[in-house]
Amino acid sequence: MPDNNPQNGAGRPLPKKEADLFKNVIKHYETKQYKKAIKQADTILKKFPNHGETLAMKGLVLNNMAKRDEAHALVKLGLMHDMRSHVCWHVYGLLHRSDRNYNEAIKAYKQALRIEPDSLQILRDLSMLQVQMRDLDGFAVTRHNILTMKPNGKINWLAFALAKHLNGDLRGAISVVDIYLGTLTEGAPELSRGFEASELAMYRNQILSEIPDNTQEALEHLETCKALVVDETSWLISKARFQLTLGRHAEARETALSMFKRGMTENSRIHSLYMCAILKLDKETCDKAYELPGTRSLASYLPLTSEQKQQLLDAYANEIFPDFERSAAVKRIPLNLVEGDRLRKSLGVFIRKSLVKGVPSLCRELSSFVLIEKDGRFEIASDPIDIKEHSAFKLIVELADEYISCLQANSKLLADDEFEESPSTELWAWYLRAGLHELAGEYESGIALLDKCIEHTPTLVDLYELKGRLLRSSGDIKTAVDTLDKGRDLDRQDRYINNQTTKYMLEAGMDTDALDRISMFTKHEGNPEANLYDMQCSWYELGLAACYARQEKWGKALRKYACVVKHFDDFHEDQFDFHSYCIRKVTLRAYTEVLKFEDNLWSEDYYFSAASGIIKLYLRLHDNPAITKEDAEPDYSKMTAAERKKAKAIARKKKKQAEKKKAEGQKKDDANGDKGDQADGSKMTDLDEDPNGDEMMKRDPLEECQKYSSILSKHCPHKLETWTLQYDVAMRRKKWLLALQALFKLNRMDSESAAFFQRVVDFGLKAADFGEQAPAVKNVLKDGCVELLQKLSVSDYIKQAVEKVQGHKTASLPLRVAVAEALVLINTSSVDAATALIVKGGLDARDASVESCRKALAALKGFKSKSVQDWVSVVKQQYPRIADFS
Amino acid sequence: MGKQLEVEFGQITDDNIEQLRQVNLACFPVQYQETYYKNVVKGKNEDLCKFAYWNGYIVGAACSRVENVEGSDRKRLYIMTLCVLAAYRGRGIGTQLIQSILDHYEAEKDAALSKVDEIALHVQISNEDAMNFYKTKFGFEKGELVENYYRRIDPPHCYLLYKKLR
Repeated sequence: MPDNNPQNGAGRPLPKKEADLFKNVIKHYETKQYKKAIKQADTILKKFPNHGETLAMKGLVLNNMAKRDEAHALVKLGLMHDMRSHVCWHVYGLLHRSDRNYNEAIKAYKQALRIEPDSLQILRDLSMLQVQMRDLDGFAVTRHNILTMKPNGKINWLAFALAKHLNGDLRGAISVVDIYLGTLTEGAPELSRGFEASELAMYRNQILSEIPDNTQEALEHLETCKALVVDETSWLISKARFQLTLGRHAEARETALSMFKRGMTENSRIHSLYMCAILKLDKETCDKAYELPGTRSLASYLPLTSEQKQQLLDAYANEIFPDFERSAAVKRIPLNLVEGDRLRKSLGVFIRKSLVKGVPSLCRELSSFVLIEKDGRFEIASDPIDIKEHSAFKLIVELADEYISCLQANSKLLADDEFEESPSTELWAWYLRAGLHELAGEYESGIALLDKCIEHTPTLVDLYELKGRLLRSSGDIKTAVDTLDKGRDLDRQDRYINNQTTKYMLEAGMDTDALDRISMFTKHEGNPEANLYDMQCSWYELGLAACYARQEKWGKALRKYACVVKHFDDFHEDQFDFHSYCIRKVTLRAYTEVLKFEDNLWSEDYYFSAASGIIKLYLRLHDNPAITKEDAEPDYSKMTAAERKKAKAIARKKKKQAEKKKAEGQKKDDANGDKGDQADGSKMTDLDEDPNGDEMMKRDPLEECQKYSSILSKHCPHKLETWTLQYDVAMRRKKWLLALQALFKLNRMDSESAAFFQRVVDFGLKAADFGEQAPAVKNVLKDGCVELLQKLSVSDYIKQAVEKVQGHKTASLPLRVAVAEALVLINTSSVDAATALIVKGGLDARDASVESCRKALAALKGFKSKSVQDWVSVVKQQYPRIADFS
Repeated sequence: MGKQLEVEFGQITDDNIEQLRQVNLACFPVQYQETYYKNVVKGKNEDLCKFAYWNGYIVGAACSRVENVEGSDRKRLYIMTLCVLAAYRGRGIGTQLIQSILDHYEAEKDAALSKVDEIALHVQISNEDAMNFYKTKFGFEKGELVENYYRRIDPPHCYLLYKKLR
């Protein structure tokens, strides 16, 4: 007798009534009516308790009701009862997908497709996972299958073209787009001017331009699709950039001009294109200049000859200025091209105008005139040593001082001005001067001026902000917090000053106050910390983590850093939403940008801070295992009976206290948690899991370090710290080759840095004890070491550094400290010489911030120098407010 | 006298009340009580209590209230405080503040302020500048001398300045 029981699966259908119910279950699931879906699934299961597909569907519904464990059990049970059902496999895949277990999900989908190769739904789900996981070959195959099955859908064509594009088959992608366009009948809306047609044309154009040496075709295509394109801005930008690439500079200049006429005069990038066209620069420089951030332009990027400058000035004077004399950028950008008296005059006009208007960012803007050349490019100077000596800076200071004294004498900016200025002009002149003091590292003078400003106008928040910043730089974070908090109180709706106050409070170790302040801007109900987590407020969590780390609350610090890491996981997950949406909306250019961004997600600064924070914490835990073993019992066996008794009593007491404290903490947390729950009825959040980081503390420190360090090496190779961390981790893991690699990277990036010097010495000293190595490895290590030490012995290498540091008055303070420490390390009797390296140089060194002064002090104390007090008084002369410094 | 500064007016709220404190602290020798600040905020009356903004920030404030005149059903506008930061004085800001209160009276004299028939304030007897300001600019008259009106400043006496509005 054939077995027709649907419970045995394998295609035996349910009776009509139950089959209809099953359809309803799916319908309710799709419309998110989970309770109804469960009810109807249960009705089927009453009759056929072992029906696989129903069990699986019920599991899927439960999963969406946040009953993950139950869901897994049911879906697995369903699958066991009906291994040959594509529904069960599909559901199994969906379950893994919701757990972000993508590889397992892909396997399950593929299994489902083996049983049911024509299921569009499963194919679509699979394709999305494939692009998410960047299985681009698989993605292309799947999209091809879908297209063959349903060649009449626009989405399927575009998705296949995209797949080809992502796979690097650029010509293939173009032809897919063309075939698709060919399938449309004449007069179809997709062929007339409109957003979607425009985007598709521009996407096709983008692919054309990505084909090597194909700019000519891309430029021609721009002209053919001109009538379709509604995004005229990017059309014009592409045109100008193609023309520059092809060396058609005169045409590019015309294109740039037409962009100005379109109203794009305030976009510095267009100005860069315009200037590149005039100077007939090569493609690479054009691209670099186009990518400059903010208000920077070619004029503040590339050192130019006087003829080139004159050429540009003439162009601006004759071609641009008459038509756009009201544009701020048109006035501002040529300022970077003039010199001498003309600079003085133009800069004067620029500054006076801003002072009258009251522009808080004036100083910042002016700092972009203080440029120093590095590797043939300009950079904005950042070290006070460079700034103070810079001619442009001296000029700005001179002008500011002139205005201040003239205003004081006769309330005018210039003695022969017709009208007197309003009182705010003087205020902003002082404010500018204070900002200039900040750039030059003259914090005391800046603070004194700001006090004068505050007396003049105690209602201006900007004054408190700058004063706070100066106080912080001069080592007095507590007063900085008070100042900022006072400014914050003036306008409690100013979110910026509120955030700034929060940030400073975290830096000052006032985490409770910080939470109190920032809570003024979080949702009013519920737990503010959970709200900040939900809002993915990374800067706060990073600040709090660092605050905990300083308080030696290791677990909590780790936990906060982990929150930021989690945000990035979420950002990565978020792209899922775009895979189907963007193709449907034909925003393909933006979509490919998103994919690129997601590929480089881990190179973002916030991620870097979180990962490097975690590495540093785990390194400390590794170096001080006592931290994690605080509860371990002392060794009683070596004690006398009396000592033992005493020690045990102390231990008991400590334990009791700890327990009490923990209980109290728990109570407090519970109370907070309750409040949160009641207010918004939310369930447990991720934040409640391991709130004190106890679980994280139990992990193997070096394994964790290695995990994050390898991510940073891959995604943040341009940061110095990536490689210092890789070195520090690799040495502890005895991975000498990785350590050596890090040293070579550091050497190439900044061979003058203290971080590099310190580690080369460390490597050289430890090289003798690397133990047994394979001969090839041994040779690489030996050769590498010889090369890094410049063929010197370690002690000669250090001696050479000592001479170098002594020869350079401005050699950076951190480097001096590193060299001094190395000197003592190899020869304990050289403490005096080492001390001199630090103290004698005084604070004329580069990088002589409060922070590096503190490190220098620690070093001096570390080798028990007699001159600690000398250093303290040297530093206090420059930074009289520096706190906790003796 | 410098050039005139055109100010804009803004409401005094719980979120910016600290600025009123700063302005008062900079202008007056006496410290006002918490209740004064509380009432200003609670009143939420932009026509009677207001900040003067110039170039985007606060440079002065005027706070007034409507109060009953003892022994009658008449009312008067009473100016509690008027202040302009020292650096911004002599540029017509105080005048604009008082004028705006008078304008408010004109607009409401047959409605909400129908019972109001005078505007008044107290001024320390030594404060010639203030008395001149009210007399010459707005035609206030010197009223009774109130002895020992102030507690912590010298001289402690003040005059009532007033102007009949109808």
